[in-house]
Amino acid sequence: MSHLGLTAWAAAALAFSASCATPPKPAEPLGVQTTLIGPNTRLTLITAPGLKVSALLKPALELNDGRVLRFDSPRLTPDSAYFAEPPSALAPGRHGELRGTLRASVCDEGAAVCRTVVLDL
Amino acid sequence: MSPATLFFALSTGVVAAGTLAVESSSRVQAQASPLLASRPDRRPALPWKNDSWLNTDKPLTLEGLEGRVILLNFWVFTCYNCTNTVPSLVDFDHKYRDKGLTLIGIHTPEFPPYAGEHDKENVAQKLKQYHIEYPNAQDNDSRTWDLYGIRFWPSFVLIDKKGVVRYEGAGEFHLNDRNYKLWDGRIQELLAE
Repeated sequence: MSHLGLTAWAAAALAFSASCATPPKPAEPLGVQTTLIGPNTRLTLITAPGLKVSALLKPALELNDGRVLRFDSPRLTPDSAYFAEPPSALAPGRHGELRGTLRASVCDEGAAVCRTVVLDL
Repeated sequence: MSPATLFFALSTGVVAAGTLAVESSSRVQAQASPLLASRPDRRPALPWKNDSWLNTDKPLTLEGLEGRVILLNFWVFTCYNCTNTVPSLVDFDHKYRDKGLTLIGIHTPEFPPYAGEHDKENVAQKLKQYHIEYPNAQDNDSRTWDLYGIRFWPSFVLIDKKGVVRYEGAGEFHLNDRNYKLWDGRIQELLAE
């Protein structure tokens, strides 16, 4: 496992001990809040301050079984380009069982640029 | 910490989320890149090899454009910052094409094909919608994006008549704003050489 991978697992373990809904720390672009809803899990994306998630390219969770879930929210910014509240998606199964890749286009308000954030679950 | 600085810092972000074991593996890697405040750079431009083009009868090559100033615009139609910048680029094309500028859109998708960004018909429709007449290459495998070490949408690479990269930068700009004037001045500078 790479150094980055080890660090990520360690950070995830810390998060596990603290909470099931960890907002991003200042140096992290994106956090994922998980909420159990019956047999399913609602995933909600939380951005760090100064960042926003593109609504023109809705975030996606690519499950390992081939299904692709898209994140959404009813509230957008006036230009309809970004989410005005955290987008979420309902994933099948409990969050500990989820395996896949999450993608989001995350944009910086100040510099007016975007980049892709990819998280391996 | 300014938003831009924060954004740089985020390039290496490791994300801990609930009980999920998460590893950040952003396409964007660790090093910072110039954003709005572009820096002059002097390195040979690298030959792109995109196969699929729009708004041109045949693929454009770096070698074939020797003697012209080239502005590469890395963009994707799902990027609002990118499409907001298009009117400025269309303006540059109208003002400077006959004076020696070749503007090339390098259309690089953010997401896999299910998002529709790889579809040539979708790109063609957007070129029409935004009145883009300059050539565009489909960079569906991000080959040219990677070749130039691009990290953000939109990004720009300005190449002089001898094939040397002279300016690079990223970030949205608008007709006649400060950064429009910055890029306009740089184009004029290279056209005059």
